[in-house]
Amino acid sequence: MAELLAGLGTSHVPSIAAALDKGLRDSDEWKPFFDGYVPAQEWVARHKPDIAVVIFNDHGNSFFLDRVPTLALGVADEYRPADEGWGPRPVPNFIGASDFAWHLADRMVEGHFDPLICRELDVDHGMQVPMELVFGRPEAWPVKVVPLLVNTIQYPIPTPQRMWDLGRLLRNAIASYPTDEKILVMGTGGLSHQLQGARAGFINPKADRDWIAKIGNDPWRYRTMSREDYVEEFGSEGAELIMWLVMRGCMDADVRTLHQHYFAPASMTGAGMVLLENMR
Amino acid sequence: MTSPDRIPDTPLFDRPRANAGYALNKMAMGLSNPEGRAAFLADEDSYLDRFALTPDQRAAVKGRDWAEMVRLGGNLFYILKISAVDPTPIREIGAAQAGMTLQEFLDTRLGKVTNG
Repeated sequence: MAELLAGLGTSHVPSIAAALDKGLRDSDEWKPFFDGYVPAQEWVARHKPDIAVVIFNDHGNSFFLDRVPTLALGVADEYRPADEGWGPRPVPNFIGASDFAWHLADRMVEGHFDPLICRELDVDHGMQVPMELVFGRPEAWPVKVVPLLVNTIQYPIPTPQRMWDLGRLLRNAIASYPTDEKILVMGTGGLSHQLQGARAGFINPKADRDWIAKIGNDPWRYRTMSREDYVEEFGSEGAELIMWLVMRGCMDADVRTLHQHYFAPASMTGAGMVLLENMR
Repeated sequence: MTSPDRIPDTPLFDRPRANAGYALNKMAMGLSNPEGRAAFLADEDSYLDRFALTPDQRAAVKGRDWAEMVRLGGNLFYILKISAVDPTPIREIGAAQAGMTLQEFLDTRLGKVTNG
């Protein structure tokens, strides 16, 4: 039986990628942000996951508005970094955990979640940045990946409760997978930010800090908030935080918060992470 | 075109906006490959002719009027690709939509660094 190693929530701000590409990791502006990830990076490196399930949204790079999958699941053997307008970034291709991905596809459809199943898919900063924040810039990624994409751009986006329920399904899919592989589940996006409209530049560090503090041991309110509540509290793009609920929903009610970090503003975004493990 | 947003100054990308902005966003999506970017840089008017932009949308693109592009259905994730061809920092795009100078925008919305 596969093992849920840990749940990790993190921002996936594209400016993080740009800072890495420009060699600004240790600049005055960015060092405090990146340093906050080091303890979680070390924990993950010590515990050696085999597979990372990465829940993220495409940002108009792999999917256009001609067809918008509410949920999409990658089952490919390999994923290339997407061209987001500046050419593909110099990060290694990602190796797909296609066996587990097909198992998850079966469990999802049986469980009445019906994803678009993707055999060829370029992945944008929504997946690249979390992988870099957790695993650095290796020659080759030390884990195989399963991309699980959620539409958070065009309304209707899925509800927070639906994300939580998808997490419950993912939990069962991991528990019923007949290998001894260790799986890291990464919910990504947020924290507060708004790119569109006259409220652009809205961030809410207080709400972000509450989120970081409570997503482990007191997440219940976040499940029942409406999508509009998310937009109001975290900004129009801050609603990406619903994807952390997939990660949280796949864990036990009682979890231990191993590491947490918050920094704002990273470009125009409240940014941070939590690393959670089930109480055992 | 659309009922007022419940959250002030926060345009959710819903059916009316997605409909209004479809051609504009499709034009921007065309910049996600080298051929589209080269065509835009070589002759912007000819590139824009490929898409069914309204005159207002065309003028907003030509003027790099980010607030107007969003008002006309543009979504930042697509129209940002214009800023990859004609470099514009994201914070300047934010300030333009907020109707502020960049410094005013940074001071009032993003100024205070918080860490840890």
